[in-house]
Amino acid sequence: MGVNIAKLTQRTDLWPWLLLTPLAVYMAIFFVVPLADVAIMSFTEPSPTLSNYERVLTGGLYLRTFLNTFVTAITVTLCCLFVGYPLAYLMASSKPRTAMLILLLVTMSFWTSFLVRTYAWMVLLGNNGPVVWLLQTIGMERPPQLLFTRFSSTLAMVHILAPYMIMNIYSVMRKIDPTLIRSAESLGARGFSLFRHVYLPLTAPGIANGSVLVFVICLGFYVTPVLLGSPREQMIAGLIGNQIDEFLAFGMGSAMAMVLLVVTLAILAIYHRRFGLDKLWG
Amino acid sequence: MNRFLRWLGIAVLVFIAAPLVIVIPMSFSEARSLQFPPPGYWLGYYTAYFTDPNWLRPTWNSILIASATTVLTMALVVPATFALVRHRFRGKGIADLMMLMPLAVPHIVMAVGYYSYFGSFGIVHTHLGVILAHSCLSVPIAFLVLSANLKGFDRTLERAALSLGASPTKTFIHVTLPILRPGLIISALFAFVQSFDETVVAIFISGRGAETLPRKMFDSIRQEADPVIAVISTLLFLAVILGVTAPLLISRIRSRRTRIAAT
Repeated sequence: MGVNIAKLTQRTDLWPWLLLTPLAVYMAIFFVVPLADVAIMSFTEPSPTLSNYERVLTGGLYLRTFLNTFVTAITVTLCCLFVGYPLAYLMASSKPRTAMLILLLVTMSFWTSFLVRTYAWMVLLGNNGPVVWLLQTIGMERPPQLLFTRFSSTLAMVHILAPYMIMNIYSVMRKIDPTLIRSAESLGARGFSLFRHVYLPLTAPGIANGSVLVFVICLGFYVTPVLLGSPREQMIAGLIGNQIDEFLAFGMGSAMAMVLLVVTLAILAIYHRRFGLDKLWG
Repeated sequence: MNRFLRWLGIAVLVFIAAPLVIVIPMSFSEARSLQFPPPGYWLGYYTAYFTDPNWLRPTWNSILIASATTVLTMALVVPATFALVRHRFRGKGIADLMMLMPLAVPHIVMAVGYYSYFGSFGIVHTHLGVILAHSCLSVPIAFLVLSANLKGFDRTLERAALSLGASPTKTFIHVTLPILRPGLIISALFAFVQSFDETVVAIFISGRGAETLPRKMFDSIRQEADPVIAVISTLLFLAVILGVTAPLLISRIRSRRTRIAAT
């Protein structure tokens, strides 16, 4: 028997490698090589120099786009936090049944395609949409242009990415031991001070998880900024897309993609060293 | 803080729900362009969707590509997950990390890579190209779901089968697989949805030849905002509602049945 069990679990050291090989080969051919291709093109297209990086890292348009991307990603992350924290709290402090219903709604939003949600915001914020109508009803004669601005794309991204934040914070809040809160109260912590010194630190891991995830996704966001944002204030992914399908400038596109990739991986690497990457999506 | 956070929470609830709900009335609207509230209601754009080959073809492409992606992803991920969860070996940490890498790389970066790389094989704008790319992107999500399931697997059941004389192969087929089935199904479902919803890579490499539904929707929203998009959005949203609530309903029915059986 003992031998049999050992057979099933261990066999030889070769067994795990045998199981892993098909995937490893596949990932090498269809993940690593295309990525390496981007890296190579960034140096060699159209001619083998560093000129792509020179342009990307010094040109006004590119720097402005990088800056804009960062500012947008930070704004979206903060807004998601502002939106996600209260909702997670509402869930954690409601009856199980109510919490379940809210979680159901958040899950539905999470699973609904980015495109569908982006389109929905187009309807909501359009010139003949409900928001403009509401603004007119409350007396604003000429409501501002909402669609195709930085405002509309930021708002839609907050809506699209909020579920990541909510689920991360909620999963931490749910596990908080209520006796901790009660003992803090019995020691005299009230109101804001209770929140600031007890509740907030306890929920910090969820905030960190959610924020990293939202920030990183936002950095490379393509669909929503392209469809809803202002063409004059692009984000980096949109600009990369332009280089490829409008100008066929693979060198420039690749150099920008490499910058985006390096920044993204650097953030995730820092996160990985502190918490472990598998926690982020788990 | 208590009451303040609660009220804020309720406001957020509206913010989350409103955009999801609004596509439903829009899909029945008579308006040719974005207009809310709708001037009148009809089913015309539903008929338009279900009869227009320009919409049906991408839908079919997406179903085909997502199905093939699911099969390929699972064929690669299932053995690899067993290796990574049940065995300890040198280099496991790196292998674990590699499984998650496609999640860490922005899709636009992969899109640039695939566009040029697949271009050199001549498989840009083909179903094959999209399937190969999507399978890569589906690996992490399928792995995360399956490995979570496999980690919670009670191995005494396998030991029992082995001690009763079943061969390792038989044990795998008759004990391991049936127990793991829900995990396998959910994992496959996630891979399918990942591919079906994937937009960025598809925009760049699916072209006219293998145009997927998200690509078609993206182009359409960008150009004219065809009202048919509201119909598709509604259908996709309904699919999500069904997908999210079905497990709950099933478990509720099951628990009721067992309760009846127990009495």
